[in-house]
Amino acid sequence: MRTLIRGRFALPVALVGVVGLVGLVAFTPSAAQAGPAPVATAPTATTAAPTAKAPAGAAAHPTATAASTASPAAAGTSVTGSPLTSSHGITYYEPAGSLIAPGQALYAASCASCHGVDAAGSARAPNLQGLGAGTVDFWVSTGRMPLANSSVQATRKPPRFNRLQTLEIAAFVQSRTPGLGIGIPVVNLSQASLAAGNSLFTLNCAACHTITGAGDELAYGAYAPSLHLATATQVVEAIRSGPGNMPHFSEGNITNSEARDIAAYVTEVIQHPVDRGGFGLGGIGPVGEGFVALLFGVGVLMLVAFWIGERS
Amino acid sequence: MIDSSLRWVDDRLGVAKGGRTFLDKVFPDHWSFMLGEIALYSFVVLLGTGVFLSLYYIPSAHEIIYHGSYLPLRGQKVSEAYASTVGLSFDVKSGLLMRQAHHWAADIFLGSIAVHMARVFFTGAFRKPRELNWIVGVTMLILGIVNGFLGYSLPDDLVSGTGIRIAYSIIESIPLVGSYIAFFLFGGNYPGNGVIIPRFFILHVLIVPAIIVGLLAAHLGLLVKQKHTQFRGRGRTEHNVVGSPMFPTFMAKTTGFLFMTTAVIFLLAGFAQINPIWQFGQYQPYQISYAVQPDWYMGWLDGALRIMPSWEFVGFGHTWPLEVFLPAVLFPGIIFNIFIAWPFIEARHTKDLAYHNLLDRPRDRPKRTAAGAMMLALLFMVFCASSTDVLANFFQIELNYVLWFFRIVVVVVPILTYFVTYKICQEMRHAEGVGKRKRANVVVRTETGEYETYESEARPGDGHEEIEAVPVPTFIDMVPAELATGAGVRRVMR
Repeated sequence: MRTLIRGRFALPVALVGVVGLVGLVAFTPSAAQAGPAPVATAPTATTAAPTAKAPAGAAAHPTATAASTASPAAAGTSVTGSPLTSSHGITYYEPAGSLIAPGQALYAASCASCHGVDAAGSARAPNLQGLGAGTVDFWVSTGRMPLANSSVQATRKPPRFNRLQTLEIAAFVQSRTPGLGIGIPVVNLSQASLAAGNSLFTLNCAACHTITGAGDELAYGAYAPSLHLATATQVVEAIRSGPGNMPHFSEGNITNSEARDIAAYVTEVIQHPVDRGGFGLGGIGPVGEGFVALLFGVGVLMLVAFWIGERS
Repeated sequence: MIDSSLRWVDDRLGVAKGGRTFLDKVFPDHWSFMLGEIALYSFVVLLGTGVFLSLYYIPSAHEIIYHGSYLPLRGQKVSEAYASTVGLSFDVKSGLLMRQAHHWAADIFLGSIAVHMARVFFTGAFRKPRELNWIVGVTMLILGIVNGFLGYSLPDDLVSGTGIRIAYSIIESIPLVGSYIAFFLFGGNYPGNGVIIPRFFILHVLIVPAIIVGLLAAHLGLLVKQKHTQFRGRGRTEHNVVGSPMFPTFMAKTTGFLFMTTAVIFLLAGFAQINPIWQFGQYQPYQISYAVQPDWYMGWLDGALRIMPSWEFVGFGHTWPLEVFLPAVLFPGIIFNIFIAWPFIEARHTKDLAYHNLLDRPRDRPKRTAAGAMMLALLFMVFCASSTDVLANFFQIELNYVLWFFRIVVVVVPILTYFVTYKICQEMRHAEGVGKRKRANVVVRTETGEYETYESEARPGDGHEEIEAVPVPTFIDMVPAELATGAGVRRVMR
């Protein structure tokens, strides 16, 4: 009788042990998030406004990947150029004229074979004239350009050029058509409203990028990319230029203050969601939840039944 | 003292005789007979956590300004239903735990029903005289799915709102009466006049659970009345049940199982996030999110809808759209009708109208087992089809290829499953000694270094000699030792 009891306790004790261990390993980070209310940080000035000393596009905007951080040389060079327009926390800049010459060399080496020496396009690639520095900055700083292969849609990858080089290329393309297209937006998030950003994101972005910003497959190989790596500058550039299949939104559709609110919502809520309630199961919704409920929930309880009941 | 008070109760209610029979009710010991209990106990958890949630949830579509502690929502206009659910998650003590426990319990409830139903099906426990109880069970399954959908819709978040929108269109797709039913349910054209949340609420917390509780009572009442089925084995006949008595053995087991079920559900609720509605935002009819799927038990309905080609024809002065009606109304209708009618379909096919209390081994009924496996394969494939976009994104394949993949496998895999299962069953039936106890092979090394093998002696239980069943005495003397309930002692009833 005694051995019987001991034998029968071995399985559940092992089970609780394993589950506990897995729980400890997998869920420890999320325990730290169980902080007091309010549960999301207020918008902060994550993106400093450009000053005379710190060049706008360069040091103030490290993209998510280390490769794109500004080189020390950038700090001393005045790359900002002249602000084109500025309202509601977003200032659009045209890169400084001193960047055009080095930009031309980079462009000739990496871009001209498809886009043409004068950025006027070719049979293989579109005309870049008139798109503006902001458009070029988006494609190059997200690593989509230079293109790895000509599939349906360019993929985000670690950028080939550092921040300064990116601005130089943008400056060269912009210099072909001065004053046309969109400048490089510098976003000041200190006045942004997360609530307005939430509502605007749901209305304009969630239909493709999904409400959690995870991105998803559309049709015929096109897809809406994940927003989890996008910087505030890239969000505004994408809104204004409409890369790939994405529609572009002019200031008549989404004002600068609205674009700023969306950028704040993406960089502060989408990229740092309040993940209470335990391990997030990949954030892909009921598919993952169903598998956990069936495999873990029902599975463990069947094991318990197997333990309590007889096997023959 | 206890004796006299019990006697007092019995003198007035006369329950001793029935109570004695109930306490002596015999439960088979096989583990697969406990799967239905998972459903029963997760239902208990659902009731308990549901009562807690209903204390804080406000079933109203009335719009207010949110002032809770979730910052990105502050100052937005949200419905009271959504605000109170976010409040439950952030501002009510242990509210999020209860919400998640309720949701996980619902997922496990329907999962265990499916597993229990598979056990009943594959062992033939639904045969005469238990067809009615099978139908009661299937009805509870359908009501469970319906109530799961209703509950999932109550938070009024973007994802569940999309589900309500789809449900409205599905109802509308029913020929002739569809629009009238949809108008009746929603109080007008979509999204109605804010009536859908209170209506779903009263259905979810009162009407459907009340029906489920009634059916549950009938389910268990029929179980006691008709007594348990059992597998073939020593001393087991069509006219007895071998196992442990209700009291004390089974009572201890099943109470432990209640605690284990609760523990697993709350373990999940504490560690695994489910349905973080604050990330989804309030539902507005003009907003939508991509990558939306329903809970798993609705997944097969969503999958059928996704892979359906857009067929419609024009005739008789109308356009007849089939792309919603076929997969979302006709398909589940056919599936559930097959479930309900199966005992009668099978009886007609086998011309077997006898009483059955002994169960089949699945391999001994290859056609039924193969048919069941085919149904499982079909439902699993359609279920997987509800995540076409997730799969396409994960494997970086074109969504259209994934759609076509599922259109093909939904037809091919069930048919293959049928034949493979049928063949496996046949092979297992004809294999020598499968399912019988194996004799030990004794290997002996002789003095000259040779090895000899021979089979060991037959052990008790190797043959299948039947022993006589001993009926339970109507009066039990508590003194004799041979009636004490130990681990090895079993009672036989009937």
